[in-house]
Amino acid sequence: MSSPMLGIINAATEFDTFETLTAHRSLASLPFAGRYRVIDFMLSNMVNSGITNVAIFTGQEIRSLMDHLGSGKQWDLDRKRDGLFVFSPEGHSEIERFGSFAHLASNMTYFLRSKQKYVVIANCYTIGTIDFCQILERHLKTEADITEVVHNGKSLQTYILSKELLLSLFEQYKNQGYYSILDVVHDKRHQYQINRYEWTGYITAIDSLSSYYLNSLDILQPSIWKQVFTKEEPVFTKVKDEPPTRYKKGSKVTNSMIANGCMIEGEVENCIIFRAVKIGKGSIVRNSIIMQKCRIEENCVLDGVILDKDVHIGDGIELKGTAEAPYVVKKGTVQRGVHHS
Amino acid sequence: MKQKKKCVAMLLAGGQGSRLSSLTKDKAKPAVAYGGKYRIIDFPLSNCTNSGIDTVGVLTQYLPLVLHSYIGIGSAWDLDRLHGGVTVLPPYSETSGLRWYRGTANAIYQNLNYLKQYNPEYVIILSGDHIYKMNYTEMLDYHMEKKADVSISVIEVPWEEASRFGIMNTNEDLEIIEFEEKPKSPKSNLASMGIYIFKWPVLKEFLEMDDKNPESTNDFGKDIIPLLLEEKKKVIAYPFKGYWKDVGTVVSLWEANMDLLKEETELDLYDRDWRIYSANPNRPPQYIAPSAEIEESLINEGCMVEGIIQHSVLFQGVTVAEGSVIRDSVIMPDARVGKNALIERAIIAPGIVVEDHAVIRPSKEDAVTLFAGEES
Repeated sequence: MSSPMLGIINAATEFDTFETLTAHRSLASLPFAGRYRVIDFMLSNMVNSGITNVAIFTGQEIRSLMDHLGSGKQWDLDRKRDGLFVFSPEGHSEIERFGSFAHLASNMTYFLRSKQKYVVIANCYTIGTIDFCQILERHLKTEADITEVVHNGKSLQTYILSKELLLSLFEQYKNQGYYSILDVVHDKRHQYQINRYEWTGYITAIDSLSSYYLNSLDILQPSIWKQVFTKEEPVFTKVKDEPPTRYKKGSKVTNSMIANGCMIEGEVENCIIFRAVKIGKGSIVRNSIIMQKCRIEENCVLDGVILDKDVHIGDGIELKGTAEAPYVVKKGTVQRGVHHS
Repeated sequence: MKQKKKCVAMLLAGGQGSRLSSLTKDKAKPAVAYGGKYRIIDFPLSNCTNSGIDTVGVLTQYLPLVLHSYIGIGSAWDLDRLHGGVTVLPPYSETSGLRWYRGTANAIYQNLNYLKQYNPEYVIILSGDHIYKMNYTEMLDYHMEKKADVSISVIEVPWEEASRFGIMNTNEDLEIIEFEEKPKSPKSNLASMGIYIFKWPVLKEFLEMDDKNPESTNDFGKDIIPLLLEEKKKVIAYPFKGYWKDVGTVVSLWEANMDLLKEETELDLYDRDWRIYSANPNRPPQYIAPSAEIEESLINEGCMVEGIIQHSVLFQGVTVAEGSVIRDSVIMPDARVGKNALIERAIIAPGIVVEDHAVIRPSKEDAVTLFAGEES
């Protein structure tokens, strides 16, 4: 039985605290947890809730996100009936805030063609497992106009409402000055019945460099990753053909999450290591996030560091950051080695 | 314009692999796990893709369900194509009734229609039983250069082992003059790898000829090759240099996995120009706990390691609880090892649970044990 909900992900949000990590990619496509991109979590929640019609509204930076999503096949959304739709902004000047009603409304055809009666709207940077079926059930039982999902009292900017109501909100947006659902919900004058659904279970948001770093290292705690990665509700992502990871002589790895395709000869402690990373002999990497295809040569010391993709750290380099201020190295950087005599 | 296929591959994947014991209790040998992530059939399939052969018929027979679901429409190996791609060919009933494949040649003979629809120039026959990387186009170029009717890929084996293989006796020009199956006194140490390139008309002619012979066992090695030599066809040997392993026994499967842990491995799985494709299991990254100690091992995604892993191969989704020691072993997908267990020189079958405090090691030194649950 297909879901009566269609899913909308607002992938247009940007925060400017991510330094170079989001210089050339959207927040939605920021690599996270060793092999995923931030948007994979909400997208997988929708798919696992039985939703087969998903629309992603992007901002201006779309190359990385489009490369990641493709046709939606890896999320089982490459379909003839419904599937994945991606809408990028078309340069309309009256769209002041992407993800706003204006942005959604400019793709009216999609909404008119979709047969589902209900809509779940979410942001792209919430991490955690959410079952929308449960929330829809309560939404229908309580006959609310809008159900807002909250966690520990704080809004997750995730809403369920009927498609009919959403379309009428589009109509009204110019007249009543509502730019987005947030406006509707916060406007005390509205006549809508808004219920709050408290979602228990691990939830976190990646909305700053600091939260990115701290949440990445939090994932190393079994009590947390067991809630984020469950067998019943897997997190889908674009899959690469990488061989298993090799732990060579001299490697010493502890309290870390390691993706496939890595070749480790050094020490790794409290780290998230993405795919195809090489860590050379004698190197020590601690409290760090090393993204895909980085190469760390021999006798380096990295502590509190975030290396973006394809970074090459030569022999003997030492880099240090802190939890409050992790040391971020831009994608593709090559740092020549030093040789201690 | 649709182009005629230069070379179509026929992959014989029907083997039972009875010497692999309980590992082939529910699946054919080509579906058996290897290398921390793969199944044996990933190697010939990936070799086809990387060689530019995009049309592959996979002939199944014994317990084909696992293999059929695994292969699907071939997307994992880039073989979901508009023209060609992978086609699974199970034995099917002919007008004269359901016929199980009598021999390797009979399997191809029953699927001549598949080949006729492509009418290729050449056909390459592969087996799904071996671990190796090979560029089939290089063999095809050699075949065309020598203007051969049939080319057979051979590999040098140690003389003391030659009697275990199908041996090709050749002249100085590497033309094959005799084929001996497991000879007691081998005259040559060139073993057949079970890889044949035929000119399509020659294959068709000889399969039909052989099928008419009621005495024939319809086997490539035992029947077709001698027939070709009798009819004075040009049959040559293509010398292959590289890693090639037949994983037909528990010991050889274990050895092939251990080979991947050598400081300098002969089989490089990390070569980006010759990727080994497989249906990716899509699990979270492996978690290495504070209590874990890992040395010289290969570990796949989805594993949770709290114990001590020495010189071993862990497939996807394996959990090893605290205090357990795993040494020189191969732990297959989704097996779970409890606390304080000891596993040495063993293969643990997929999905098996090893209880706390269990000790699994072979009873004889230098042996290897296969553990597939309490009843084995």
